[in-house]
Amino acid sequence: MSWRREFSKIQRLFRRYESIEDIDEEIRIHLKMEEQANLESGMSPTEAYYGARQRFGNVTIAQERSRAMWRWNSIEMLFQDLRYGLRQLWRNAGFTAAAVLALAFGIGVNTAVLTAYKAMVARPLDARDPGEMVNIALIRGSGTNNFTFSYPDYEAYRDSVHAFTGLIAVSSERMRRSNAGDDVDQGTPGSGSGLGILGLPSSPATNAEFATVVVVSENYFKVLGVAALRGRTFDSIGVPELVTSPSVLISENYWQRRFARDPAILGKTIHLNSTAVTIVGITPHDFVGTGIGVPEFWLPLCLEPLVHADNNWLRDRENQKLRLFGRLLAPGVRISRAEAEVSTIADQLRSLHDPHSDWAKPATALVSPGSPFPLPISMYRGLVLSILLIMAAAGMVLIIACANVACLQLARARSRQAELHTRQSLGASRLRIIRQLLTESVLLGLLAGAVALPFTWALLRMAVILTAEDLPPDVMLVFDVTPNLYIFAFVFAISLVSGILFGLAPAVESSRSALSSAVRGGTSPTRSRRIQDFLIAAQVALALVLMISGSMLIRSSINSLKMETGYDSKHVVDLNVQFPEGSKYTAMRKLALVQELRTRLAALPGVVSITSARAPDDNSFRTVAVPLAEQKLSLQNGPSILHYSYIQPNYFQTLSIPLFVGRSFQAHGSQSEHSVILSESAAKQIWPGQNPTGRSLRLGPIDERLHHQSELLAEGPAYQVIGVAHDTRGVEFDGSDSKQVYLPLPESGLQDHPILIRSQSDPAQVIRMINPMISSIDPDVAVTALTLEEMLRWSTSFISSRLSAAVASTVGLIGLLLASMGIYGTVSYIVVLRTREVGIRMAIGAEKRDILRLILRESSRPVLAGLLAGMALAVGASHLLRSVLYGLRTVDGISFVGVSLLFLAIALIAAYLPSRRAMRVDPMVALRYE
Amino acid sequence: MPKKQGERIELVYGTLDMLVLRTLLWGPTHGHGIAKSIERMSEDALKVDHGSLYPALQRLLQEEWIRAEWGVSENKQRAKYYRLTPAGRRKLVAETSRWERFVKAITGVLRPAEGHER
Repeated sequence: MSWRREFSKIQRLFRRYESIEDIDEEIRIHLKMEEQANLESGMSPTEAYYGARQRFGNVTIAQERSRAMWRWNSIEMLFQDLRYGLRQLWRNAGFTAAAVLALAFGIGVNTAVLTAYKAMVARPLDARDPGEMVNIALIRGSGTNNFTFSYPDYEAYRDSVHAFTGLIAVSSERMRRSNAGDDVDQGTPGSGSGLGILGLPSSPATNAEFATVVVVSENYFKVLGVAALRGRTFDSIGVPELVTSPSVLISENYWQRRFARDPAILGKTIHLNSTAVTIVGITPHDFVGTGIGVPEFWLPLCLEPLVHADNNWLRDRENQKLRLFGRLLAPGVRISRAEAEVSTIADQLRSLHDPHSDWAKPATALVSPGSPFPLPISMYRGLVLSILLIMAAAGMVLIIACANVACLQLARARSRQAELHTRQSLGASRLRIIRQLLTESVLLGLLAGAVALPFTWALLRMAVILTAEDLPPDVMLVFDVTPNLYIFAFVFAISLVSGILFGLAPAVESSRSALSSAVRGGTSPTRSRRIQDFLIAAQVALALVLMISGSMLIRSSINSLKMETGYDSKHVVDLNVQFPEGSKYTAMRKLALVQELRTRLAALPGVVSITSARAPDDNSFRTVAVPLAEQKLSLQNGPSILHYSYIQPNYFQTLSIPLFVGRSFQAHGSQSEHSVILSESAAKQIWPGQNPTGRSLRLGPIDERLHHQSELLAEGPAYQVIGVAHDTRGVEFDGSDSKQVYLPLPESGLQDHPILIRSQSDPAQVIRMINPMISSIDPDVAVTALTLEEMLRWSTSFISSRLSAAVASTVGLIGLLLASMGIYGTVSYIVVLRTREVGIRMAIGAEKRDILRLILRESSRPVLAGLLAGMALAVGASHLLRSVLYGLRTVDGISFVGVSLLFLAIALIAAYLPSRRAMRVDPMVALRYE
Repeated sequence: MPKKQGERIELVYGTLDMLVLRTLLWGPTHGHGIAKSIERMSEDALKVDHGSLYPALQRLLQEEWIRAEWGVSENKQRAKYYRLTPAGRRKLVAETSRWERFVKAITGVLRPAEGHER
């Protein structure tokens, strides 16, 4: 049996080691035996002792030679190779530094991207045994995904699905926290962030402020398996007691930031939405649970009716705000079983909804591995695309780095031909030489890995700091980007593989040329020259793609801030008012408060006009617009999807949006309720090439769930177009929210809209005066005030555009740096190798200028080829990028031409510096060199 | 009595292995026994440092021509005994015939020369 043979092999291996250990003893015994024999033959003890040793010879040599018999030959050879390799690398310190640095960049960027991917996208839930946790979502037959559920639905799933040991529900809310003024404030929370720079007050002066509160089912911490840092969690208290004495948990981060780790925090009472709640526990530092950010407080679900002053809050089946997460019953339970059970319950629940609503449509369950992302990553197509693009960019950097080092190796291998030749003549086999060169490459890879690790760490630190600066200051995101053991292993795996990768080609190449004895002196084999040219061209091409993409992203991000928005974003402040919940604040009271606020705001110095509306860069709602049938264009165009806003007559004037045709709404409600104003692009879509004023259209809801009940545009009266306004730009990259339909906002609806204030002077001054004003009107009202520009900057699409620009430009710059290094290094070696040729040329009368031209011409050929290939590739890349490019044409001329010229210039400089050395060649020295 | 150093013949390279294998043909023995056997068989004519025996033994172990095992000597001493393996036996036969051919050839070359001199 073969395993038996294997076993005896292993046994024998051990026996060998034994036998090495035994040699000393064996020799000792041998000497003793000889001594005894000598004694027996009649020698004196001294004679016998020395006689035995004389007969044996040198004991130490015998021991060492015996042991050497057992030594693994290849290990010995490896050490020899390593020693030699290290000496070689040390002697060529410049080459080593360049190669190690290039590889370290490549490895570092890739590790950083992977770590960031793990920390941001592929992150598990913050729980004990996160592998058991799953997300629950429903896929409706209509194609919509449903990942939020109502409380009654949650109860049904919790009590009837047996595939889970626990099912938790969670939703994140912003709540007003009143009487916050007496907290210990640990400096300004957002110091150093964008808010601080703009001089906005970061700690509000009013009594009320917003707090991020994560509302969780009472079993949340138990199912996640997380204990409180101090105090208790909800599961140990129980619902009845939670209701009678309302309790919350505070996060350690907020406790530290806002209460300076005051030990007396437990038992303290705070007010959330005017409800008094007692802090009973502190959650661990950086604990994010099922989310990605640390909230300020954790509130049990059973208190929702209390804080929202709505007894129906948990009974309403339409109030679908809860995300569900389950812990699978032991690892044995398959996800498919959980899905089947959830589907069954979902099918029972759908009959409880209005048969016309989306919720009544059949659904299948989607149970996926636990993640803060509600749906499996693969379903976020935009995200997947950006991840792929970033990973491709990182991969390109690694390829550039490898090509770079291969180039350097190849150049060096050629200058080492004499050495290799000598070694071969002295009896080194071809295999042995390849081994030697490979060892050096692996050594380089390892060195690069060692350098890459701290580089990666620094890169990630930088990324975290930059990200934090780009986010609004009150978001406490937690990303674990410390390189862990796996990442460490990853770094070394890449460095080793790439070490072998780039070491192989030059090794084979140089051993081949070492074999041919004809190769001597400086003339180079064209074959390796061609490989080198190809490598340079490849580096240049890839680096150019990265640079062009990076520059397009940067320009698009600049554009996104500077481009004509179609309205004045700098001088208009958006003031969002949030009233305490509860019956005390009726619509009438809210309206009165807003009107008083508006009156007092209007009296502020510098304030020019005030209106109530959602700003163009606020989240907008969509509607379907259908021109009336008599136009006979409806069938041809189909329904157009527009975004709608309710506005007051002075909206266009306040935001400086010019009206194209027609007029704005009339003040004092003298016009029909059913008149609308279209934006230019909306008008173009519905009635291309025609004047829309006076025409009629119908509006209908596109997605019922997105509509507030008061804003539902039911299919009803026809609306008449009375004017066309210039386009404004919203937050969608594709500009779809430029297609606007404006409806008149009735006076009675003011309280539901933000107040827009236009000031002549610095809007920061206005913002500073708002808070004292609010607290004098009603201290329990909370407000957020931002200029429209800031709102634009902090919208998700702009943050992602800026971050991708930052990533792409960093990666692009690294690519440029690497490619320049490659060109410099290669040209340097070419110059060294051609010293003799240059000497001959100069001896027969070539001018220095001719030599320079010769070398520059030869080295710029692959660069030009690379640039052309790179441009072609960049066209493809920009095609992929178009979904994140803001206001740029697909082929951005400035990026293409500018970057290519810049690249050519840098490449020429990189080639020029070493070729100057060629001009200084003394013909006599060069010829004698041979 | 051992002969004086100068009268001994240096071992031809590679023949020590053969001598060791030949010794073990009579049965397992320890390193000292092998050394003594070689001395006895060659009537002390061959110059073998006992020490050089040990690297040779390791080499033979690696080739698996011999096998080693700890045992107890005739004097009740612990000693490592070496034993010929079947492969070792085959090797010995092959080496012996090769050696004989070698000696025959060398002798064939050398003898006429001696004749001329006389």
